[in-house]
Amino acid sequence: MTSPTPPLGQDGGVPTTSSPVSGDAPPRRVDGSMSLLVDMMTNTLDSAYAERAARRNDPGSAPAGGTGPVPRTVRGTAPPLLAILLVGVLTGTAVAQVRERQEAGTGLRAELVEEVRERTGESEALAGRAEDLRSEVDAARQASLGAGAAGQALTDRLAALGLASATTPVEGPGIVVTLDDAPSEAPLDPTDPRAATGGEGRVQDRDLQDAVNGLWAAGAEAISINGERLTVLTAKRSAGGAILVDLRPLSPPYVVEAVGDPSALELGFLDGPAGRRLTTYTSLYGFGLDVRRADQLSLPGAAVPDLRSSSREGSS
Amino acid sequence: MIPALALVLGVVLGLTLEPTVPAALQPYLPIAVVAALDAVFGAVRAQLEGIFDDKVFVVSFVSNVLVAGLVVFLGDQLGVGGQLSTGVVVVLGIRIFSNAAAIRRRVFHA
Repeated sequence: MTSPTPPLGQDGGVPTTSSPVSGDAPPRRVDGSMSLLVDMMTNTLDSAYAERAARRNDPGSAPAGGTGPVPRTVRGTAPPLLAILLVGVLTGTAVAQVRERQEAGTGLRAELVEEVRERTGESEALAGRAEDLRSEVDAARQASLGAGAAGQALTDRLAALGLASATTPVEGPGIVVTLDDAPSEAPLDPTDPRAATGGEGRVQDRDLQDAVNGLWAAGAEAISINGERLTVLTAKRSAGGAILVDLRPLSPPYVVEAVGDPSALELGFLDGPAGRRLTTYTSLYGFGLDVRRADQLSLPGAAVPDLRSSSREGSS
Repeated sequence: MIPALALVLGVVLGLTLEPTVPAALQPYLPIAVVAALDAVFGAVRAQLEGIFDDKVFVVSFVSNVLVAGLVVFLGDQLGVGGQLSTGVVVVLGIRIFSNAAAIRRRVFHA
């Protein structure tokens, strides 16, 4: 049989324990290249403390004129206490300042929100008053024109012009076209619809323009979008992600109401280029498009535009 | 004990009096606080190790605050104020933590 072999490492070979290198140069530290970081992590105490302590214990090494051991007196302890007090004051001031800044920020915001509410209410009240005054003007005009044949003709003319310029409220049958963003789009922030970013499934100003033009082409007599009556001068354009109609931002769904012959309108709109395009978008992008007839629509009158020019009847 | 009371008194004073800081110095206040805290932690550790010295503490406190403020001010002038204040906070934060660890070892022997 074979004799038992000694276990590895104990066969009297090279000693495995490393003895300290007896060279002149001190052993190089592994992390020597990171001495700055190591120094920062290990020498955290101000070395001046150790120096002063060493000097105190060994007065002989103190430089000439050195004070040596400092007796503990009131004068000796006052500066550190003062310094610590200062630390506290600094901290407290910084905290107070941050709080004050936060308060100022939220206070300002609340103030602005309050002002916006107030102004919105004011604007609504003024719009209501304008409506009242307009009907008063209408009544007064009616009364002053009289019931004669000439007066009647003028009244009729005024009514036709009012309809054409969309300044008189209109009631009657028609169709309602509802456009909505695709459900995949994030809902608009109702407080700031302009901040939204437009995706493919969002209704664009062009789509609304298309729909409105299609309705006009189909024979609509009066159109409103979300209760905003459209005149020949009304602009429909986008600002950010929102669509502005007469500079007022709207949020979806966009309800386009058109007064006219319902069946002719529906046919004309859906068969026209605008209707066909919007129907395509419905399947392409997931638009919401809904067209239905309505027996009774009532559209508000648009604001009377500023008078820009006038001429005497029959003088031209 | 008395230093702790002084610290609390200082915080209360700062919170209640709300001294107005000149607008030009406002960005440096938080940095100054961190630098001062570093000096305080160093002082506590030195006290526990028996080598505390009044003069060293006061001088290190004042110089810490001034140097930290100066570095950030310089950074502001060079357009890297934010980064430099982050650096100052990181370095001082490491020192505060190591000193706090040393204090903890002294006090709790753990």
